[in-house]
Amino acid sequence: MASETTTATGPLIRVENLRKSFGSHLVLKDIDLAVNQGEVVTIIGASGSGKSTLLRCMNLLETPDSGHIWFHGEDLAADRVNINRLREHIGMVFQSFNLFNNMNVLDNCTLAPITLKKMSRAEAEAEARRNLEAVGLANFINAPSTSLSGGQKQRVAIARALCMKPDLMLFDEPTSALDPEIVGEVLNVMRDLAADGMTMVVVTHEMAFAKSVSDKVVFMDQGVIAEESSPQEMFTNPKLPRTREFLARYLED
Amino acid sequence: MLKRFEKLKSFIVDDHKYVFLGTSVVAAIGVWFSLQKRSSMSFLRGAYVFEVALYWFLMAWLALAAVALVFKLTHWNTYGETSPFRKKPLVTAVRWLSYGVWVATAVLFVDRAFMGFLAVTSEALAQDKNPSGFLSSIVYMVDKGWGIIAKGVMTTVGLSVFGTLIAFVLAILLVFLRIQSVDRSDNDAVRFFKQTGVLFAKIYSTVVRGTPMMVQGMLIYFTGFGLLKNTGMTVSEIGAVWSTFVAGLVTISLNSTAYMMEVLRGGIEAVDSGQNEAARSLGLSQWQAMIKVVFPQGIKNAIPALSNELVVNIKDSSVLSVIGVFDLMFATKTVVGIYFKQIEMYAVAAVVYLCLTMVASWLLGKFARHLSVEPQPLTSVSDMNATVGTVAGTGSSKYSLDQKKARK
Repeated sequence: MASETTTATGPLIRVENLRKSFGSHLVLKDIDLAVNQGEVVTIIGASGSGKSTLLRCMNLLETPDSGHIWFHGEDLAADRVNINRLREHIGMVFQSFNLFNNMNVLDNCTLAPITLKKMSRAEAEAEARRNLEAVGLANFINAPSTSLSGGQKQRVAIARALCMKPDLMLFDEPTSALDPEIVGEVLNVMRDLAADGMTMVVVTHEMAFAKSVSDKVVFMDQGVIAEESSPQEMFTNPKLPRTREFLARYLED
Repeated sequence: MLKRFEKLKSFIVDDHKYVFLGTSVVAAIGVWFSLQKRSSMSFLRGAYVFEVALYWFLMAWLALAAVALVFKLTHWNTYGETSPFRKKPLVTAVRWLSYGVWVATAVLFVDRAFMGFLAVTSEALAQDKNPSGFLSSIVYMVDKGWGIIAKGVMTTVGLSVFGTLIAFVLAILLVFLRIQSVDRSDNDAVRFFKQTGVLFAKIYSTVVRGTPMMVQGMLIYFTGFGLLKNTGMTVSEIGAVWSTFVAGLVTISLNSTAYMMEVLRGGIEAVDSGQNEAARSLGLSQWQAMIKVVFPQGIKNAIPALSNELVVNIKDSSVLSVIGVFDLMFATKTVVGIYFKQIEMYAVAAVVYLCLTMVASWLLGKFARHLSVEPQPLTSVSDMNATVGTVAGTGSSKYSLDQKKARK
């Protein structure tokens, strides 16, 4: 699907001069970021540095003040763009899971494909089963979504996003609301996904994950991309003192 | 339920220290009954000796309790070990005697209160003019005005039940308008309709909730009447289509719609915003996310407060008597007009309204429990958001009989 609109050379999604403010507080200051097909980009940084806002701008859950977000040859940030159609190609996983509380696991996964892709129920359910199996939750398809543990919920949320066969997956601190001992089960699913070649943008505080999985690490500080490099470079030889300071806090334990 | 029963059972069949505490009150009540005048139907009338025995038994129990109390006061910390009342077999004997206290008081209660009421009733029913006693007058008037009161009750129930159901449907439609917000992909026409809809819902809610239902009833009734009159219909023809009942039903439906709309809005706004975001992130439109995800959860949140509207409507329909709707209030006024006994009849009306609202909230409580699924264990923050959210701004809160239950 990606091949219809993206050229082999250009990035899958490109953020250009993105600006976003909440009231008088400027959260994103002219951000530029390009993510290539098949790349895993992790965004790290302190709380309030704007990393979640940047991610949420990338599927327009936050409306940018100015700038461009090029995806499939269209500018998501343009006024009155058909954002719903473009969002079908961008999966999103939230910190607080946000499974639909009024549905069971299977319906969570089949709602969007049936509603938007006009799939038959059987077709959508087969796809959902495949994805739920991939995240290790095939036994839970009929469970009410509110009865799952946090780690299970997040894995269902990932499966739900995958059912739309997205070209790009956005992860907004997917493990921050989880107990430390179940963070691993979600990260493993994400590792498998990266290994399958999914293009991913991940906002995370899991430095070990960022180091081992990503192709590119972006360090954000006070609304700008302060440093952008390969994980080896970022974690062994950060350029800025601010980056060193931030990483030191994580790497000492 | 079973646990409560077990507790009661052990309270009755086990020896415990507090026998005197409760039963002395029971005994005092029994003594008070025995001091009341015997009615004509009293069965103790011919058993004077038996009643004297009951009286002295209860008095003796009170004396015994007083002795135990003094003993407790003098042996505060060692009562358990030193009191003879706490030792077998006395403690068991006291327990058995306490059953006697209950029985004695029960006999006196039936004789004085229950048989007394029957006597008053049968005497009042035999009268051919309104008796002067409070209770007998009530019995007399209820007996004579039964048809009127029953008609009033039927009308009140009909008005409030149908009014609430119609209002529920209208409120769902109105809240759809109210919660629309302009989305990026909307074109100018859609934007215009959304904004107009929101404005309409806001104005409707403000006007309806800001004016008394009594005034609304007057306006609606006479407006309808005037319009039909202009078409050249006669008064009796108008009465056939635009009866006071129909006007009252329209009033209560339109009035309740505004309140229910606010309750629904509160329930919808209490749904975690992440639910909507998740639906939108999958590509669902604002409308689809609303219908499939947010609305079902919001209505569920609002059900306790919504059902409370029925209770409110049962009570508030009474103001519609001003346009001549033959509801319970109108019926009561009619009976008052015949006998000129205001306090007695309005007391009857109050009791009937109370019974209606209690039955309604009991039924609705059962209904709400039937609808909601078993409570799930809380495992995370987002679960809490989902379950905590009920009933936000209901605007000017209408008083309610079971507010505590509703906020549960």
